[in-house]
Amino acid sequence: MALHQLHDVIRRCQAIPDDGFKAEDYDQFQMAGRSCLEEGKTAEVLDIVTDENNKEIVKSMGWNLLGPLVKIVLRKEAESLQHCLTTLKHVLEVCSPKELLVGLLEQIEDADVDNIAETIILLLQPLQIALLKLGKKKASSLGMSLSTVLNQISQLPVPYTKEQEEDDVYGLCQCCAALIEFVKPFVDEVDRGRESKAIVAENEQRTELLKFCMKSLGNPVLQSQLDKVPDSAEDPPLRHFATEILVILSCIGESFPALLLHHLVKKKVESGFLEEDVKYPKESLACLSYLLFVQHIGIERFPTVFSPVFILQFNMQYIEVLLKSSEESMLSKGLELYEKSLQRTEDNSLPMQLLEVKCFLRVPQDLVTVMTLCPIQHLRTEALAVFQLCMDKFDTEGKHKLFGCLLKINQHAGVQGYIIKNIKNQIDFSLKPGNSNVWFSGPQLLPLLHLVLSLPEGPETDLLQNFDRIMGSLNLLRYLLIRDKEWDNHTGIWTELYKIEENFLKLLHTGLKMSKAHYEAEIKNMEENRRRGPKESKGVCTLTVGDEKLSNMTPEMHLQVLQSAMFTFDLIESVLARIEEIIEVKVKP
Amino acid sequence: MAAELTREWSDEQLKSDDLAKKDIIKFLQDHGADSFLAEHKLMGNIKNVSKTAKKEQLIAAYNNLFESKRFKGTDPLEKVTEQVKAVKIEEKESKPEEVVDEGPPKYTKYVLKKGDKENFPKKGEAVGCWYVGTLEDGTVFDSNVTTSAKKKKQSRPFSFKVGLGRVIRGWDEAVLTMSKGEKARLEIQSEWAYGRKGLPDAKIPPNANLIFEVELVSID
Repeated sequence: MALHQLHDVIRRCQAIPDDGFKAEDYDQFQMAGRSCLEEGKTAEVLDIVTDENNKEIVKSMGWNLLGPLVKIVLRKEAESLQHCLTTLKHVLEVCSPKELLVGLLEQIEDADVDNIAETIILLLQPLQIALLKLGKKKASSLGMSLSTVLNQISQLPVPYTKEQEEDDVYGLCQCCAALIEFVKPFVDEVDRGRESKAIVAENEQRTELLKFCMKSLGNPVLQSQLDKVPDSAEDPPLRHFATEILVILSCIGESFPALLLHHLVKKKVESGFLEEDVKYPKESLACLSYLLFVQHIGIERFPTVFSPVFILQFNMQYIEVLLKSSEESMLSKGLELYEKSLQRTEDNSLPMQLLEVKCFLRVPQDLVTVMTLCPIQHLRTEALAVFQLCMDKFDTEGKHKLFGCLLKINQHAGVQGYIIKNIKNQIDFSLKPGNSNVWFSGPQLLPLLHLVLSLPEGPETDLLQNFDRIMGSLNLLRYLLIRDKEWDNHTGIWTELYKIEENFLKLLHTGLKMSKAHYEAEIKNMEENRRRGPKESKGVCTLTVGDEKLSNMTPEMHLQVLQSAMFTFDLIESVLARIEEIIEVKVKP
Repeated sequence: MAAELTREWSDEQLKSDDLAKKDIIKFLQDHGADSFLAEHKLMGNIKNVSKTAKKEQLIAAYNNLFESKRFKGTDPLEKVTEQVKAVKIEEKESKPEEVVDEGPPKYTKYVLKKGDKENFPKKGEAVGCWYVGTLEDGTVFDSNVTTSAKKKKQSRPFSFKVGLGRVIRGWDEAVLTMSKGEKARLEIQSEWAYGRKGLPDAKIPPNANLIFEVELVSID
């Protein structure tokens, strides 16, 4: 049936002069052609298409058959496959590149998620041929093609382990490899063009290739695991893809320092800052920096003249972008980039003035967010290690300022406790002979001490929630009273003691008294309820987590919680008592 | 080594008011051995000695000096003390003091090709350079100069803003002393290069002194 219709259309169109075809003609040809192919009349379609008499018709309308042809090829049915492939090849040779482009991109764009990889791999080469036929006017078409292909590739899941990468179930790695082959001739054109100080056309093409590289770096490179495989000479596919992208950037004349530092160059605002965002997206540049400084891919094309502090400085903005993400792949890259940048500098070398650059305070805060809120355990641990490294790199004045700022900004008791421990270590270091400095064993220490030796909310401070911080402070105080002799008073603690007693210790006593009284009353209440009998005692509270109601806390459990709170208060009290003992002995002769 | 000294002043002259205490003290300090001066409490600032010593004491010391002949150079200890003093002075002069922001430059510059000697870069200006960086053993670890004809047209001079701490200190300081067109060989000590850490990614070992051939081609 369909075959008849197709023959009819052909016969009719043969009578019409070139370019006289109407919309209905195209539609009929397409419908008839599609039906024939779907009915399996692939051999007949091939004959019609390759018939010399039908040359003009095929030239104008042939590209409409792309859709059904591709569908059949992807299905891989043995009988039709060869005919369809040949038909496809013929159509690609004969039809106008502009129309082919439209057809091919349409096919790629419309592909089902399951077919994306196969479609891309099938059509990339025809796409390349069509583009090359466009000659010097291809830049925007090239850009559109690259953008469409990358959009589809970004839908493919990125492998997480090396095994997954090898298996490549969703075809991402194959697509990436095919993509590199696809762009090669276009890159070569630009490369050659640079030598002859070429024309505008090459410049537009160069811009499209730059956008392509930047987009690829943003996805899939940024999401990929890029470590080398130990004991293997070959690079795994995604690492290879990343390497090739950097090669392309060099071939089209981009310099890595210029890219990473471009925000420092004052340019006149280009037409529409959207262009800037597309040409230099922060996430892609962050990925570039990661590739250079963590994976050492392309590092041979980065000058070995920059000072380590400067490298840390310009990397901070990229680290910030990565650390603000919630994706594991980006977070871990951010942590590694921060770590590597810090490691290049010497301990105790970063000057305080760096902290006046906003990123230098924001990024440690981002670390704290990861340390305290990230659900992935190994990232929390890594973040803590980098946090310590960051503090170690500043000189004493820098450390002093950093500790003060971090204590003021952070409410998390555990983090505060950790910083207080660092302060104690710095004081300890500076009390050793030859290490004294004004920041940790002189008048400058006092404001920091007062910050530490205080209760954040006065006597109403929740002692349980702030336990880590309070114990940190008490331990620091106890250490100072023992270590810094009254007659030395290097840290000034002895002259400030009366203030600390008023503003800290006294309030702590009050807080402890209130808390203990409260909890004692609660415990008494509970025990009375228990005595009254099981009927009357109910669960005290209900908890709902994620739409699931947790089973009520039994009275026994509740009692345990209350008692453990009491133990905590006792612990705080015992350290407090010890401190007061020391003071008694030393102050009152 | 001290020549035999003759008494310049007679007893009468010494007792006379015309002869000031300071003159006697000066004489004694100039010619008496250190141990002699120490014993007679004649060491130190002439003014101070003059305040504490009475004229009679000084006259007695003067006489004693000629009797005992304990002139300079006769003191066995003195020779050693003088030597030690001399050594100390030498050290002070040759070793520059280690003050935080000062001290001799930790690089040396050998001019290979003179520049125009007029255009020197100012702090904060962008400069363009060709350079080749080698380790002391000759290994080239970095360069932006290409010899291949194809790439020559594509490579560009390395551009950076000088004097802002963006590059290793040796470069920052040296480039400021170069004029446009100058080509120089810089030998930079590790403290003004990559120091104790080195740069393992770039094959620069710890404490490596670096050698750069730098040609300053443009100043913005």
